[in-house]
Amino acid sequence: MRRITCPERDDWRATADSAGFDFHTIDGERYWDERAYYAFTLDEIERAIEQPTGEIDAMCLELVGRAIDDESSLRRLKIPEAFWPLISESWHRDEASLYGRLDFSFGGKGPAKLLEYNADTPTSIFEAAVFQWTWLEQGIERNIVPKRSDQFNSIHERLIEAWKKFGAGRHLHLAGATESAEDAGTLAYLEDTARQAGLATTLIDIRDIGLADDGSFVDLDSRAIDLAFKLYPWEWMFQDTFGAQLRNAPTRWIEPPWKALLSNKGILPLLWEMFPGHPNLLPAYFEDDPKATSLGASFVRKPIYSREGANVALISAGVTVVEQAGPYGAEGFIRQALAPLPEFSGQYPVLGSWLVDHTPCGLSIREDENPITGNTSRFLPHAIV
Amino acid sequence: MTANSKIKRSRRVVLTMMGTAAVGAVSMGFVPREGCPPGTEPALDPRGRLYCRAFYGGFGGYGYGGHGHGHGFGG
Repeated sequence: MRRITCPERDDWRATADSAGFDFHTIDGERYWDERAYYAFTLDEIERAIEQPTGEIDAMCLELVGRAIDDESSLRRLKIPEAFWPLISESWHRDEASLYGRLDFSFGGKGPAKLLEYNADTPTSIFEAAVFQWTWLEQGIERNIVPKRSDQFNSIHERLIEAWKKFGAGRHLHLAGATESAEDAGTLAYLEDTARQAGLATTLIDIRDIGLADDGSFVDLDSRAIDLAFKLYPWEWMFQDTFGAQLRNAPTRWIEPPWKALLSNKGILPLLWEMFPGHPNLLPAYFEDDPKATSLGASFVRKPIYSREGANVALISAGVTVVEQAGPYGAEGFIRQALAPLPEFSGQYPVLGSWLVDHTPCGLSIREDENPITGNTSRFLPHAIV
Repeated sequence: MTANSKIKRSRRVVLTMMGTAAVGAVSMGFVPREGCPPGTEPALDPRGRLYCRAFYGGFGGYGYGGHGHGHGFGG
């Protein structure tokens, strides 16, 4: 694994704009950054990323199978009791998952270490699936990357295949916070792939979902929402006004409610409990577990619910080295062994390994000057060389 | 890489809706999501401290049951 500086395509902004990728620059700062790329060998991709991704996904499914009806686990994960039946029923009905992203620390040496699982509402899929692929194709044409370069990336076609399993001809609603360009872009991209799979689609803001007298959720045309993709976290859905209506409505949600277990940082200690010593896991414990002291004075502290690095603290030799601001932590924290991100030219990359329909199929890299990746980190492309 | 390497690449990436024709659908302003609870967004108070400012109705956020449309509900 290497970080290679390279020239930018002089027309990449126009290319991005024409593809609908209009959040490439956020608040005047680069989000998409092609002044460098990460190069991997095929062996690194297959053995260090692809294989562990599939294995961890299988481990996560085993974890859900054990935890789903286990009161003790659900309480440790701080899942609101009122939603246990909804979550359990979705699991026992085999409601399918569309996608997810595992985040790893990996620098080319030793096993990749799982930092967390974005199981519910992962974003950056458009830039991973489409725009970094366009970069590779144009980069080869323009001698920016070696002629025979490749990319770990079949996300796009796997999404289309996955949508077909949900049923061509069905009507899919895609809901989220459409005021966010990033979320709107993600929804538009997934809508595109769903249509290519033969589904009819309607994009709707999460606020615009209505509740009919018969208890079903409806769109702005009062059409019943039968199948809905939501780019909106389950833990927020549970707290929101319509949360209490979820169990009574026939809507089938993507991601399904059982994914609420996996999007929770509490799975990190549960995985470590089930698979102690696994080479791709870091030791992790709930903060109130006496075993947490075994991590010593250096660890990462993460709220059970947290997004974009908020309220994550890096503690080294008892001193808080870095701490991200944010409002999380009321539900408690977990502690995870410190796995410092590798440094390449003063940058700290986190690898995002994509699963579509449980198949590892792509890689995205977010890079930051800060060793905790937050929502201001930049997306860099990768190539297999 | 060798000619016999397992191919990882996408062979075809085609967008049918996104892009020039659909760019208006994704041209809204960016709303930072730095980990605030439902219906709120991060903001700085006059003393420069981060807090979560209410902005969003969320799921069921317009607070009506029977679904009325086009009545100018504030978000």
